[in-house]
Amino acid sequence: MELKSIKDEFDRVANKHKLSYTKTHEIVQLLSQEIHKALSLIQDTQFDHRSILLDVKKLFMERSPGTQLESAEKELNVALTKYPKVLEKQLNSEISKAYRNNVEFDTHVVNQIIANFFYRQGMFEIGDCFVAETGESECTTRQSFVEMFMILEAMKGRDLEPALNWAAANSEKLKQARSDLEMKLHSLQFLKISQGQNSQEALSYARRHLAVYADSCLSEIQKLVCSLLWDKNLEQSPYSEFLSPVMWDNAVRELTRQYCNLLGESSESPLSVTVTAGTQALPVLLKYMNVIANKKLDWQTMEQLPVAVELPGEFQFHSVFVCPVSKEQSSEDNPPMMMSCGHVLCKQTITRMSKNGAKTSFKCPYCPTDVDSTRCKQLHF
Amino acid sequence: MEIDDPLTNGNTDAVMTESAPPFTPSPPVPASRSSQLTESLKLEHQLLRVPFEHYKKTIRANHRCLEKEVTAFVSGVGDLADNNRSKDVTVSRLTGLVSRLQGLKRKLEEGSNVENLQAQRCRARIDHLDSADGDNITEWNNTKLKRILVDYMLRMSYFDTASKLSETSNILDLVDIDIFREAKKVIDALKRREVASALAWCADNKTRLKKAKSKFEFQLRLQEFIELVRANSYKQAIHYARKHLAPWGATHMNDLQPVLATLAFKSTTECTKYKVLFELGQWDILVHQFKQEFCKLYGMTMEPLLNIYLQAGLSALKTPYGFEEGCTKEDPLSQESFRKLALPLPYSKQEHSKLVCYISKELMDTENPPLVFPNGYVYSTKALKEMADKNKGEVKCPRTGLVCNYTDLVKAYIS
Repeated sequence: MELKSIKDEFDRVANKHKLSYTKTHEIVQLLSQEIHKALSLIQDTQFDHRSILLDVKKLFMERSPGTQLESAEKELNVALTKYPKVLEKQLNSEISKAYRNNVEFDTHVVNQIIANFFYRQGMFEIGDCFVAETGESECTTRQSFVEMFMILEAMKGRDLEPALNWAAANSEKLKQARSDLEMKLHSLQFLKISQGQNSQEALSYARRHLAVYADSCLSEIQKLVCSLLWDKNLEQSPYSEFLSPVMWDNAVRELTRQYCNLLGESSESPLSVTVTAGTQALPVLLKYMNVIANKKLDWQTMEQLPVAVELPGEFQFHSVFVCPVSKEQSSEDNPPMMMSCGHVLCKQTITRMSKNGAKTSFKCPYCPTDVDSTRCKQLHF
Repeated sequence: MEIDDPLTNGNTDAVMTESAPPFTPSPPVPASRSSQLTESLKLEHQLLRVPFEHYKKTIRANHRCLEKEVTAFVSGVGDLADNNRSKDVTVSRLTGLVSRLQGLKRKLEEGSNVENLQAQRCRARIDHLDSADGDNITEWNNTKLKRILVDYMLRMSYFDTASKLSETSNILDLVDIDIFREAKKVIDALKRREVASALAWCADNKTRLKKAKSKFEFQLRLQEFIELVRANSYKQAIHYARKHLAPWGATHMNDLQPVLATLAFKSTTECTKYKVLFELGQWDILVHQFKQEFCKLYGMTMEPLLNIYLQAGLSALKTPYGFEEGCTKEDPLSQESFRKLALPLPYSKQEHSKLVCYISKELMDTENPPLVFPNGYVYSTKALKEMADKNKGEVKCPRTGLVCNYTDLVKAYIS
């Protein structure tokens, strides 16, 4: 796809448009001039008004403004007709080809998803407007997100109070999720105090709140405490990184993640994840539709997509094992089995390769090791 | 890097057999980020086409108007020249023509301003597509999502939220609020069982509809005829038919005949074939047809963009694991609402194994290979190494509690 050819073609349209306007303007100017001339001649002089008018009429017939207008428009028309063809060539004009018409989305469910999205992004006014306009019931997560954004707003203003309170209240769950949020927040608070040049207070804060992390984060704590030595010129110390906003950004991100997780939501908006996945999946599906154009397909009722969409790693939420021999996805009935050489096949393949138990050993398709089919270990991902 | 697919070149019939072989892209390498970006930009036909069609329509309408005015003006002058009138009458007529020309000039300029604004909008969109690159892709995608949401809201007629969202997100140039409002006017009128707006719309777009061999206007006329019959205004109905339906007779006789025959029935008839024609549901069909014609004219999809992207995305993400209890919350399909939507959609297909470590949630690949406990449970090397370093070389399976030494773990080879 070349954006340049679209740009060039549109430039051409714009140029032809300008030309057409100039020409049209000229024609109208001409008409105006002649008619004004005629009027003033008739009004101010003694010439016969009829002959003046006949002259004007003759002039108009010669110049034929109607035809001139047409020809001015003609070239523009050609450009106007060509541009959509260029668009259709460069872009995919039928993206609904891969759409399943028999599947109707429940409007209420979609609206709920959208409302949730707005609240999660902190767009409360728009979310409320949307809920009011659609007549949907109040979104249950709204209040939680309001609180989250209050905490985040405070953090933006370098006020850690609400964040620390929330973290303390949910300390157990944060520990379970193996999150280092509390430690991060306390570190930031420590830095804040130390930059207020109150080393004594900072140290006592450290003793109260950072000491508990000594076994897991000793080196970080050491760095923090050392930075106290440079309280007036931290920028010139080896610990200047503590001045950068990156630490705050990381803390904000971690808090958002943990907050959402505890709410039972994902850390990334599910709507944007799905739409981004859709953006990547559509070209593959459309290409497939084009190839299969003539063949009958049960596109509307199929159980599984006929083509694989390779999504980047961040869209992989579950382990999926595909047997390299049978190309089947593993399931409870057909789990992955590791052979003694370390290679993994699905159970059915192993059964098949050992001829349903007729042979006890066969050769691994990857390395020429002899494999005992009874000594394969079932794997759990 | 573009994946060159030999199947799309040449005669597909010759290549595909009845038992269609599985469609596999040639090398199993994920497309590079830039070609992915190009592919996603290719989906944006509607973004560029809609304002352009609007621009084209305005230009043509303005031009038609102008032509008419100029022709009238010239013939006005010619008229005046041919007929013998007194000087005073001539002067007054001429002055009238002059002021008409002034009006024309003003209209020309106003029209040109409108056209230029519309051209600007077209260009703004091309520039927007141009602005997408690897660095700002997250923000660009964010804007895309908002655009898609506005498109959805416009189609559902949630105009307030659509305007608000467009304003606050600064995407007014990238959305087509006014075009949808225009459509809504016609749809609302049709819902009130009035064909006037729809007919006006057909007149406005006469040439395009004719080129597309559309019979929408004809269907509107048929419905008006039926309404006259329903009201028992037979004389009016016949008169109407002579004026408006007859011209379509040559090409659409099959449609015309049953409708005309309704004259012989009362609107409460039980005869099924004709009962259908009297049903108020016919108006809903007209609304649907209008939407189709409208979308086709402007190069828009019939369905909201949101639905199209959601369907594709949900299918691509749908796995049986997403429906299990205790499934990770990161999967959109763990959410109840997404599950509901995804229920009738096909599952995703995976060609290659992709394994995610239970502990770190990272991919287990050649750089971070899977390690197997003696009981068959698998975790990533990185996660287990970290655990071992903190526990004097011992590792514990978080799911079964089995403890063993790091050195007892076996590496698994997954292709």
